[in-house]
Amino acid sequence: MNVFKKFTVLTLATMFVITSAFAGSAAAAGDTLKGKITINGSTALLPLTLQAAKEFQKLHPKVSFAASGKGSVTGPQAVKKGIADIGACDWDASTDVPGFKAFEGQVANKVAVIPFATVVNKNVGVDNLTTEQLKGIYSGKITNWKDVGGADEDIVVITRAFGSGTRVNYQAKALGGGDIVKKSKNYKEVGSSGDMKTAVATTPNSIGYIDLVYVSGDIKAVKFNGVEATAENVINGKYKIWSYGYYMTKGQPTGEVKAFIEYIQNKKFQTTTAKKMKFIPLSAMK
Amino acid sequence: MSGFTATKRNIRARFMDRTATGLFWGIGLLILLLIFWLLYTIMHKGLPEITPKFLVDLPDEIEAGGGIGPMLFNSFYVLILSLIFSIPIGVGAGIYMAEYAPANKFTEGLRICVEALSSVPSIVFGMLGLAIFAEYFGIGLTILGGSISLAFLNLPMLTRVTEEAIRAVPNDLRNASYALGSTRFQCIRTVVLPVAMNAIVTGVCLVAGRAFGESAVIILTAGLSTSGEMWDFSLFAPGETLAVHLWYVQSEAIVEDARQIADKSAAVLVFVVLLINMVFRIPLWFNNRKLKR
Amino acid sequence: MHTPISEQASQSSILGDVTSKSKFNRAARVRFTNRLFQSYFLFSILALCFVLALVIVFIAKTGFLTFETVSFKEFFLSFNWTPEEEHYGAAAFIVNTIILTGLTLLISVPISIAIAIFNAEIAPAWFRSFIRPVLDLLVGIPSIVYGYLGLTVLIPFLREWTGEGLADGIFAAALVLSLMILPTISRISDDAITAVPKKYREAAYALGSTRLQVILKVIVPAASRGIMTAVILGMTRAIGETMAVVMVIGNTAQLATTLFTPTSVLTSNIVMQISNVEFESTWNYALHMMAFLLLAISMILILIIRFIRAKGGAQA
Repeated sequence: MNVFKKFTVLTLATMFVITSAFAGSAAAAGDTLKGKITINGSTALLPLTLQAAKEFQKLHPKVSFAASGKGSVTGPQAVKKGIADIGACDWDASTDVPGFKAFEGQVANKVAVIPFATVVNKNVGVDNLTTEQLKGIYSGKITNWKDVGGADEDIVVITRAFGSGTRVNYQAKALGGGDIVKKSKNYKEVGSSGDMKTAVATTPNSIGYIDLVYVSGDIKAVKFNGVEATAENVINGKYKIWSYGYYMTKGQPTGEVKAFIEYIQNKKFQTTTAKKMKFIPLSAMK
Repeated sequence: MSGFTATKRNIRARFMDRTATGLFWGIGLLILLLIFWLLYTIMHKGLPEITPKFLVDLPDEIEAGGGIGPMLFNSFYVLILSLIFSIPIGVGAGIYMAEYAPANKFTEGLRICVEALSSVPSIVFGMLGLAIFAEYFGIGLTILGGSISLAFLNLPMLTRVTEEAIRAVPNDLRNASYALGSTRFQCIRTVVLPVAMNAIVTGVCLVAGRAFGESAVIILTAGLSTSGEMWDFSLFAPGETLAVHLWYVQSEAIVEDARQIADKSAAVLVFVVLLINMVFRIPLWFNNRKLKR
Repeated sequence: MHTPISEQASQSSILGDVTSKSKFNRAARVRFTNRLFQSYFLFSILALCFVLALVIVFIAKTGFLTFETVSFKEFFLSFNWTPEEEHYGAAAFIVNTIILTGLTLLISVPISIAIAIFNAEIAPAWFRSFIRPVLDLLVGIPSIVYGYLGLTVLIPFLREWTGEGLADGIFAAALVLSLMILPTISRISDDAITAVPKKYREAAYALGSTRLQVILKVIVPAASRGIMTAVILGMTRAIGETMAVVMVIGNTAQLATTLFTPTSVLTSNIVMQISNVEFESTWNYALHMMAFLLLAISMILILIIRFIRAKGGAQA
């Protein structure tokens, strides 16, 4: 190479080094959080996760997210296998729940309060159901609406599949640990909250259970032991069918994962965004 | 000579022919009506409401009025990538099976294996993709993983359709070509492929349609989030496609206009598939003109 | 001079009688391309085999772990699928899958082939160029849309018609699946029928046959290979379809005693439960085994269809 070329290369290289040093320090001065956070698990928490990710990315542009969801138990499993940093789960996966063993070594971080409601099709005339009545309906002992104060029609039971966080929590809180028994007729299992909503809305004489946030004009929520399913009743303790949503992490969360979880648990997020999405703020629960 | 003597057999044959023609027309029109009704049901709630803004906006979890911009882009991106992976291998394997493979039991067995593999549920390919890309290679949920898993899903059908298309080409044409001194590949390139192109493109259209509307595979391998920007060409970004978004909006989303978004997305999907099919037919039109069909 | 010519001669002797350098290059190029593409085609079939092997090994590896805890007899013959209580009997799903596939084929194959024949032989050209893209379009509609339509349109209609409380079941699933595989079977059959050479038809007409006779006795047998492939590909798509079936079949692990009992088939059961079970559990292994079973059942059904065609008497 002739002298001129060598000179150009040297200058360019020096410029490059200097500018990158400046850029590096500028970046260091600004925001230190970077990395990729992978979240897997419960689909019920997915809307919350996606919205929180969007807001978090505005504050920390260097952090990128990849979220997926197919069922609560895939969350802690993905964390265990190392595929995901956070496992969203509708129950505390570090403890035993009926049907699932505890996941050792994982830490449960509460991120939301999820209320559930018993829902019926609009043509059902019943307004209130007690624990005993619900237990009877779901165990198959009560098969006609007239036994609980409705019309003389067969009850069509719609339930979530085994492994659904919604089902685990509903069985624990509304049925008092009672079973959901599969029947040979008038019984259907659905795979997601949206499917549950569509199924109950389009099937006359049907009963199901769903996150309160999905209840809208097409389906009717019934009172539980005389208490209406509202956020206030959950906060003041009268309405019992609710649970925490958890983010499972391998050990205590660190770095950007910790920052993200703290962002969600922060009162500001909980009382604005989470509340707008009809979750109940963590801070409201005593 | 009158040319047609009305024997009992003739009359019966003519009667059957007329009845059958009527029957075929009836079925054809009935199915046409069914398809139109189906398309109308899918599109009438969604299509009138689509605005250009809907097509490029980012989605929103809380407020109504979110768009499908990144998802639409991802759908195309994943589709093109998966076609890039599946067409060379699928068509190549089909040509091999039709032209080069010996006609013995092993080849027949291989054919049956390929056919049986098109019955594997898409979710298994999703799990396979997850095991390969997320676990083994450790790259997590990416567009690359999603499109390769999708390519795996489509390979069997593409191979079989190509093979059948090429086998249907009459041997006379091949023999004529060989008689003129062409090598095997020249024969394939200049004679067999153009004649079989119609059917191969059908296969590609079927496969592209399936790839565009597939959700289970993408959910597991490319995730349910997008990178948040509109024109992100990164292969390693999470890639929620429109079909997946449709599933998400129908199953889990809590935004108020979830049902409308689902209807609009379904309408957009159907419309785009129609467009893709049209696009694939254009080279076919040229080809047909060349062959004077 | 002497050397170059002999050099050329020794080179060209491999290729035959060539005298100028340019022809030599072209012939060599052509031969090279031939070899190159032969290797490429070989590579693609090997790649395909690799993918097949990958899928089979993946499913079988986890699937066969089931038999560490569950006996063959229980898995294949017991109708009791209650994994929460350690009952892993998959017989109900196997029987249901076969019934569903049979019913779907019964409904869709005659109609699809009729459409293919109509399209290829009887319909006017404008109809043909119009219906083909539309049928291709049907394939692109996501299965969830079909499922949703089934749930919101078909099921209420069936409910009115039969008076059942819940009209989910095999019949609804068969109808939805038939609609989904209709374009596949009819398009591929259409191509097969179109590919039958004109001279067959002309010969038959020359002998004085009506159009129906030409279709039934000449064209369909000649296109039987392609039609068989079409039916097989449609059937395998139906066997492996998950999302749409899940929404209209009821998802209860019991044998389909009537057309309208909520049941479950291999695919719908796998899809409903695979996301909710732990990796290292017998349940998970059993689900993988069911996926493997799907492959086996589909292979058996494919062999049956090929056998039917062979008995039909057409030549390979």
